[in-house]
Amino acid sequence: MADLTISMLNKEFGSFRAVHDVNIVVNDGEFIFLLGPSGCGKTTTLRMIAGLEMPSSGRIEIGGRNVTFLRPRHRNVGMVFQDYGLYRHMTVFGNIAYPLQVRQMDRGTIAAKVGEVARTMQIEAILQRKPDQLSAGQLQRVAIARMLVRDADIFLMDEPMSHLDAQLRGQMRSELKHIQKTIGTTTIFVTHDQLEAMTMADRIIVMKDGEMLQFAAPREIFERPATEFVATFVGEPQMNVLDCTLAASDQGAVADCGAFRVALDQAWLSANDLRAGRKLRLGIRPEHITVGAPGQAGHPIEVELYSFEPTGAENLYVLRSGSCEVTTRTSTTESAHLGKTEGTRLAMRFDPSWVYLFDPGTGHTLAQAAASGREARA
Amino acid sequence: MSGIDTRITSPDAAPVQRNWWVYLILIGVCVLNVLPYLWMVMTGFMDKASAASATPQWIFTPSLEAFELLIHNKGIMKNFMNSLIVSVSSTFFSVTIGMFCAYAIARYDFVGRDDVSFWVLTNRMMPPVAVLIPIFVTFQTLKLLDTLPGLIILYTAMQLPFVVWMLTGYFRDIPRRYEESAMVDGDTWFQAFRKVTLPLMMPSITATAIFVMILSWNEFAFATFLTSTEAKTMPPAIMAYSIGANIEWNVLGAAVVLITAPLILFVLVMQRHLINGLSQGVAKK
Repeated sequence: MADLTISMLNKEFGSFRAVHDVNIVVNDGEFIFLLGPSGCGKTTTLRMIAGLEMPSSGRIEIGGRNVTFLRPRHRNVGMVFQDYGLYRHMTVFGNIAYPLQVRQMDRGTIAAKVGEVARTMQIEAILQRKPDQLSAGQLQRVAIARMLVRDADIFLMDEPMSHLDAQLRGQMRSELKHIQKTIGTTTIFVTHDQLEAMTMADRIIVMKDGEMLQFAAPREIFERPATEFVATFVGEPQMNVLDCTLAASDQGAVADCGAFRVALDQAWLSANDLRAGRKLRLGIRPEHITVGAPGQAGHPIEVELYSFEPTGAENLYVLRSGSCEVTTRTSTTESAHLGKTEGTRLAMRFDPSWVYLFDPGTGHTLAQAAASGREARA
Repeated sequence: MSGIDTRITSPDAAPVQRNWWVYLILIGVCVLNVLPYLWMVMTGFMDKASAASATPQWIFTPSLEAFELLIHNKGIMKNFMNSLIVSVSSTFFSVTIGMFCAYAIARYDFVGRDDVSFWVLTNRMMPPVAVLIPIFVTFQTLKLLDTLPGLIILYTAMQLPFVVWMLTGYFRDIPRRYEESAMVDGDTWFQAFRKVTLPLMMPSITATAIFVMILSWNEFAFATFLTSTEAKTMPPAIMAYSIGANIEWNVLGAAVVLITAPLILFVLVMQRHLINGLSQGVAKK
């Protein structure tokens, strides 16, 4: 067990910058997620921590020890690969025992340790089978067992759940989170699945194009995203983002989205130093838009139902007004009385305390939602 | 809508596949392949007169005359041993060296990698006769003419491109993950290669080795020109013993039996490995 410090880490492949100035400080025992779309440099960063890729510049320290350019075998890290990397010519037992045999432990110790992790991962029954006789879920368990069997300083996991079906993935999430907390080894987990990151992480690093966009706890990432990209990448269905211009009207400050106007809080705008006339991107999560019947009080924006998507507990309404399209999310009971056929006239309201404003050029968040972070401040 | 008769409905049972024509083609291919060889083997067991007769004889009294001549008078077993030593050692060396070469080409990105693989491939395209004279002169200078080490060196060099070319593809099919996983687990590169990659490659390496062995065993052109008495291998020996002023068909037939019997036995024994190896990569990972 150890902490991990990465400073000014860079990796170039020819003229392509895969990882650009990454700085991470991970505390002992934390469960950290590297989240981003494919090709964002998250796997390259992980491979540099493992020593499978050498950095172009920067420094990596594990438990205070400089390991920047060390060979993988000197780093004492355990790793699970995306396609598991299990040796198909060995049994499950042989696979799990391999890292211990490399360290020349005696047979008794090896058998005891393998038995112990096999119990943890519930794979005792399949120890004598070969990998090609296993299901995806079992392969995954074996791969994790092989990582756990070592007393590694840091565990690294490279999209280990991407081959599992949705149901298994859900099971694995809670199990893995529980195991990580029980064992308490610092773990870095790479994924492109925001749900995995949100549900399991202590803290999430969002990456894009080789750069770190934000490094914070899941709640913070969700409620106070640093950029428009982070805001839209996290959350399902994703945040609605519309082009708008700030304007002043007789009812106070509004954001003019073309087809409709959204009332904003003048005090909040002033606090964030935003003035009328400025072109912005307005963001709001689906759950912060309420849908009502046309003419219903407090629902000033007239829209037409473009598509209705029931998900069971919740109904998704995709609404259109002019060229603007927004998705909303309401509980099934709340929207029971509303029309559900395409083309129905409806009305909606944006909750002004949950509106975000982004810079259209840089994508940075100019104004976090007024309601966000209230708990933190209180 | 055009051309499809929508009135046709499904039959009550799935149509039965009748693939008799597959067997017809297979029988045709087998006859075409086996008949000449069968004839050659039969000739080997004929006496001189029936072998030389103008009308083909299907029924004859078998005789071991030709085998006795080859084994006792001509001492063909010495050539047999030469062939065995040369093909086994050259296979060993070419596969061992070629394996590392193929690994390097498959795994590492270095300047001129594509040129190297292309050059390796083109080496195979050159007819042996094209380099016969320079090699003869070189062998003469190095005193390698008519020696077994000379032939072993030459065959190793000849088979290397083939080995490299075959194994490169197979190495590429083995995900790097295996080695990386072993290295993270604490292995050095060589340990990972030996304990993880090599066992996975074994079927492919075996198949390649079988091929190379057959090629070396049957090599004729260089063996004819570079050996005379001491290191003469089977292919030139057969020609020397059976073809003189006129061709002794029964001796030729017997020699063909002697040269092909070990190969047939060998391939029969190794058949499973050969097919395993060749289908590796195609099979599920």
